[in-house]
Amino acid sequence: MSQESSNVPQVTLTIDGRSVTVPQGTVVWKAAQLAGIEIPIYCYHPKMPPLGACRMCFVEIEPMQPPVAKPPQTACTTEVREGMVVHTDTPLVQKARKGTLEFLLINHPLDCPICDKGGECDLQDFTLRYGPGASRFDLEKRHFQKPISVSENILLDRERCIACQRCVRFTQEIAQDNGLIMLQRGFRTEVGVDPNAPFDSIFSGNVVEMCPVGALTAKSYRFVTRPWELRRTPSVCPGCAVGCNVRVDVRVDRILRLTSRTNDDIDDGWLCDRGRWGYEPVNDPARLRVPLVRRNGELHETTWDAALDLVAEKLKATVVQYGSQAVGGIGSTHTTNEENYLFQKALREGLKTNNIDHYHGRFPAASQGAMPWVFTGTITGIDHAAHIVLLGADPYTRQPVLDLRIKKALRNGAKLTVINPEPARIDRLAARVWRNTPGSEAALARALMHVVLAENLARGDMAAGITPDYRSRFQNDTPERVAATIGATADDIRALAREIAGSDGAVILYDEMTTRQPGNETLAADAFELALLTDHVTRPHAGVGPLWEDANSLGARDMGVLPDVAPGYRPIKSPGMDYDAMLGGGVRALWVMGANPARHVDPALLDKLDFLVVQEMAMTETAKRADVVLPALSYAEKIGTVTNLERCVQPLRRALTPLPGARADWEILRALATRLGLNWAYRSPADVLTEIASAVPLYAGLTRVALGDQGKRWSFAGMPEVVEVR
Amino acid sequence: MAEQMRVVTKDIDVPGIDTLAVYEQHGGYQALRKALGMEPAAVLEEVKASGLRGRGGAGFPTGMKWSLLAKGSPKPTYVVCNSDESEPGTFKDRMLMEKLPHRLVEGVLISAYATGAKQAFIYIRGELALAARQVMRAIDEAYAAGYAGKNIMGSGHDIDVMVHRGAGAYICGEETALLESLEGKRGYPRLKPPFPAVAGLYGGPTVINNCETLSTVPAIIANGAAWYAAIGTEKSKGTRIFCLSGLVNRPGNYELPIGTTFRTLIEEFGGGVIGGKQVKAFIPGGSSTPMLPADKLDISADYESVAAAGSMFGAAGVIVLDEDTCIVGAVLRMTEFYRDESCGKCTPCREGTFWLVQLLERLEAGHGRAEDIDLLNDICDNISGKSFCPLGDAAATPIVSSIKLFRDEYIAHVTQGRCPFRARELATAGNH
Ligand SMILES: Cc1cc2nc3c(=O)[nH]c(=O)nc-3n(C[C@H](O)[C@H](O)[C@H](O)COP(=O)(O)O)c2cc1C
Ligand code: SF4
Repeated sequence: MSQESSNVPQVTLTIDGRSVTVPQGTVVWKAAQLAGIEIPIYCYHPKMPPLGACRMCFVEIEPMQPPVAKPPQTACTTEVREGMVVHTDTPLVQKARKGTLEFLLINHPLDCPICDKGGECDLQDFTLRYGPGASRFDLEKRHFQKPISVSENILLDRERCIACQRCVRFTQEIAQDNGLIMLQRGFRTEVGVDPNAPFDSIFSGNVVEMCPVGALTAKSYRFVTRPWELRRTPSVCPGCAVGCNVRVDVRVDRILRLTSRTNDDIDDGWLCDRGRWGYEPVNDPARLRVPLVRRNGELHETTWDAALDLVAEKLKATVVQYGSQAVGGIGSTHTTNEENYLFQKALREGLKTNNIDHYHGRFPAASQGAMPWVFTGTITGIDHAAHIVLLGADPYTRQPVLDLRIKKALRNGAKLTVINPEPARIDRLAARVWRNTPGSEAALARALMHVVLAENLARGDMAAGITPDYRSRFQNDTPERVAATIGATADDIRALAREIAGSDGAVILYDEMTTRQPGNETLAADAFELALLTDHVTRPHAGVGPLWEDANSLGARDMGVLPDVAPGYRPIKSPGMDYDAMLGGGVRALWVMGANPARHVDPALLDKLDFLVVQEMAMTETAKRADVVLPALSYAEKIGTVTNLERCVQPLRRALTPLPGARADWEILRALATRLGLNWAYRSPADVLTEIASAVPLYAGLTRVALGDQGKRWSFAGMPEVVEVR
Repeated sequence: MAEQMRVVTKDIDVPGIDTLAVYEQHGGYQALRKALGMEPAAVLEEVKASGLRGRGGAGFPTGMKWSLLAKGSPKPTYVVCNSDESEPGTFKDRMLMEKLPHRLVEGVLISAYATGAKQAFIYIRGELALAARQVMRAIDEAYAAGYAGKNIMGSGHDIDVMVHRGAGAYICGEETALLESLEGKRGYPRLKPPFPAVAGLYGGPTVINNCETLSTVPAIIANGAAWYAAIGTEKSKGTRIFCLSGLVNRPGNYELPIGTTFRTLIEEFGGGVIGGKQVKAFIPGGSSTPMLPADKLDISADYESVAAAGSMFGAAGVIVLDEDTCIVGAVLRMTEFYRDESCGKCTPCREGTFWLVQLLERLEAGHGRAEDIDLLNDICDNISGKSFCPLGDAAATPIVSSIKLFRDEYIAHVTQGRCPFRARELATAGNH
C-alpha cells in the first residue's frame, strides 16, 4: 500500500519529548497517533482531508513564549515540519480541550445509559479523559424530536449530534452519492437529508460506523445490546468478491452487527450495506439443523449417520452401476478454499470422476494454458489508474466497495469510461457512457484491437512480435461494424482505442457474468488481449480482468472445482463434464455443496436426477428437490480461507458458536470421504490449508501463519504455464 | 458644516451619475482607458505605491495582495469583489453600489486588468436588491459601450464581469466562505492555507477585495499614486467612508481623510449625540471591533492609532452609544447577531454563542448571578483563538471589551435584579 509513500521525503519532529519520523505532508495528529500519543478529535477522519471543525485536537507548538507565541493549534490541520516541537498536554491545551468538551456537552443529552453508543463513544471517552468534571451550563438545552429516520436503515437523534460532519463528508466526498447534508446554521445546525435526494446509497451504513457519538444508529442495532457484551471476531465479508475485512460482533448466539476492520489494500475502511447488514441468514431461526432424507416424496428428519450412509451408498451404487461418468459435483462460490479443495478431491479420488464444476462466467478452458480470467492488477493499483474502463460491469450493485475505489481514482484524476447496456449510478461521473446492446462487449474489444493494430499503437512486449498474420486477425472487426451495437460512433471507438493505447495505466474490468451473454463467448480472452497489445497487463496502476460475483468465486476456480484442471490450474488428461452438461442430463447422481443451481437452470432438470444430495444452510429451491439435505454452517461458524477478486487469500475465523445440529462443509466432506473409502486425517481446515500450501504451487507458502490477519495475494509465478495469446 | 473629502464618492450627488452617460461626462472610465494604456504590472505598482489598504476589515495592503497571486497556475485567475457588507454598523458599500455602480465596475475592470484576470465576480449581499440591480444595469451598460467583455476598448483584452447575489449569511462575507458560496456550496469558511491568492475560486488564483477598496482604484489610477498617498496619515493613506450610526443627530456615510478624529466625525459631521447627551462609548470599526470609552474620542481615526487605543479600524462602522444606552442590552443584541450568523462549522462559535446569549439574556432580565460575568469572560476565552474563523473572535469582542470598560453596569444588573436603564426608561415614561 505504501509503495507511493516510500518516495516522499521524511520529516522528524518531537511530540511530548518523543521523536517521530513521518512522511512530509502528514498532519501533527497523525504523527502523534503513529507515536502512540492520543490527541482527542472528532471531525478528523484518516480517509478525508482535514476539516478543522471540532476544535478538539489542540496542541501547542514551540515557540510558546512571547513575542512569537501562538494560541494552541489544531493538530489535524497543522502539517509537520522538520524539527517541530509539539506539546499535547500543556495547561493551555488542557483548558482548550475542556472548553470544547464543555461546549459540546451544553446541548448534548446525558442519556448515555440508554444510548447505543455508550461504552464506545468518543464524546463519553474524551470527556472522561480530558473533560471538565462538571458543566457550568445551567440553562435550557436545545431539544429535537427523537429520533428521526434518515434512511431505510438509519435513525438520527439530532440532539446527540456534535456536527463533526464526518457522515456528511463521507457521503459527499467518498461515496459521492445521495446522502446526508448539513441543514440550517449556527446552533440550529443539524444533519439531514436533501428532500429531493433520499439517502438511498448502498454505502449508507458507513456513516453509522463513523459517527463518533450516538447520533446515527442502525435500526437493526438499536437497543439490542451494550458494546461490552459483544464478542468481536475478525473475519471477511461474505457478500461479494471484494472481500472486505469485517469484524463480526456477536452476543450469545446471534450476530448483532458487522463493522469494518480496515484493510487499506482491499476495502479502504468501508463496507457496503449489503455486506454490513447481510447477516440475517446466519441468525435465521429457519436454518437447517437436522439432516433430511426423502421418503415417499417428502423430506424427513434423520440422523447424521443415517444420512451420510445413504449418500455414500447411493453415490457408490451409481458408480458401480453406471460408471464414474454418471456422478458429478457442483461446488460453491461461497464456501472456503479448504472445502472446495476437499470437495473436488472427494469426487476425483473417492468417486474417480472429473465431473466437477460450479456456476461461473464463461472463460477459455483452463486446461489450454491461457488464463485470462484473473484480474492482473490490484485493488490499490486502481487508486492511481489513469483510465478505468467498465466493460459491462456495475460495481456499485455487484461489487460495491470497488465502486468507492473507482471514485477514489476519479478524485485522483482518473478518467472513467462506462460501456453498459443499463444505466448505472456511476454514469454521472464518467467521461464517456455508451449504452451497448448486451453481448456486444467482446466485439467492441476486438474493434479496439483493430484500431490499435491499424494505427500501429501496440506497445510493450507484444508490439515487437506482431506478424502480418496476426495483424489480419482483427481485420474485419472494424469500428464501423460494431458502432451501432455499442451506442457510439466509429470515431468514438477509435478515440477510445487511442486513449487506452496511450494511457499511463488503464484498468479494464468486466463483470464475470457479462461473459455469459451470447456474443461474449470470447470476451475474457479479447479483453485480455486488448490489454496485452496496449501494455496494460502488468503495468503499475493498470490491469485487466473479471469482477467476480461471490466471496469465493476465484477460490473455487483456484481449488480446481472445474472439470478440466486440478487445484492450481494443472491440466487434467481426461476432463469431465461441465456445469451445463451435468445438469442437462449428463449425470444420474449429483452432489451439490453450497450452490443453488435451481436459480440458474430449469429446476425441473433437477427432478430428473436419480439422486441429489445438497449441503446447505437453508431450504433453497435446490434443497427442496434433494434426496438428502445436509445442514451446513455459515462462514461465521467455521475457519478457513477465501480468495477475493484480486487473488488475496484471506482467513475466516469462527465468530459464532456453531448452530447445533449443523456441520461445517469440510466436516461433512470428511465424513463422506471416509465412507467412500478415503483415509483422510484432516483435523481441521488448517490441516487442509497446509496441504494446499505444499501441494498446489499457486498457493505455495500460503499457510495460516503466512496469511496473518489481512491475507496475502497469490502470485502469478505459481501459474503452471506462461500466459499466451490464444 | 465641514466638508467631506470626496475621492471614492466623487460626484455622488450628481443627478443621474448612476447612468453611463452622466458618469462618462464626469470622467467615467477614463481611469480604465489610462490603465489599458499601461502595462498591467505598472497598474499594480501604482496601486501598491498609493498605500491603499483593504476596506473590508483587515486592512491588508491591496497592491501587495495582488502581487501575491500565484504565477503560472494552470487554472484561471479571478477577481472577486466582496459586496456582502453585513457587519453591523456598516452601510457604505450599499451606498456605493446604489449610487455609483459604474465606479465599482470600473474599479473591478482595472483590477482584473492589473492582475491578469479574465473573469470578475461581484458578490452582493442578498438583501441588497437595489444595489444588485444597479450594478447589473451598470455592467450591462459597460458591456454595451465596450468597457467590458471581449476586446475592451479595443485593447485586445477580454474581461467578463458578473454579479452573484448572496443568500443571506454574514459568514459569506468572510472571503473563503464567500468563495464556497460563489461556487454554489454551503457558506462554510475554508481551511487556509491554501490562501485564495494561491487556490481560490474553483482552485484558481483569486483576488478578493472589498467593494470600497475596488471603488477607490479608479481615483488612484486617474490621479496617480502620489496624489492619493498625500491624503491621510503617514501610514494610513487616503480617505475612508465612515459609516456613522447610533444615537447621533445625523447618522450616515461620511468620506473623510484618514486621520480625522472620531470627535470631529461625531460632532461636526454627525451633529453630536441626540438630545445633547454624552457619549458613553463608541465602536470604531463595526460590531466586531472592541468598543472604546468616550475618552478615546480624540484619537486619530487611522489603523495605527485605533490599534494603539485597544481596538481595530475594521470597516469604519462607527457606532455611538450614549450615556443612556444599556451596555448589557447592546451587547446582548450584538451577541444574538453572532449566534444567528455563526455558520456552525466549529464547536466554540456554534455552541459558545448560544450559551453567551442565554447568559446575557439572564443578566439583562435581572436574573443573573455575579459569577456570570466571569463565566462570560471565560467562555469568550474558550471561543477566541479557538474558533475556525474570525467570526468566533468577533463574537467574543463586544463582551470582553464591554466587561473591561463597564463591569459596574453588569454588576448593577445583578445587584439590582433588573436592568437599571430599562427601569429609568419606565420611570421617565411614567412621568409624561
Ligand atoms: C465573519 C467575517 C465577515 C466578513 N464580512 C465582510 C464583508 O461583508 N465585506 C468585506 O468586504 N469583507 C468582509 N470580511 C473580510 C473579508 O474576509 C476579506 O478580508 C475582505 O473582503 C478583503 O478585502 P479587502 O482587502 O479589500 O479589505 C469579513 C470577514 C469575516 C471574518
Ligand atoms: S468561528 Fe466557526 S462556527 Fe463561527 S463562523 Fe467561523 S467557522 Fe463558523
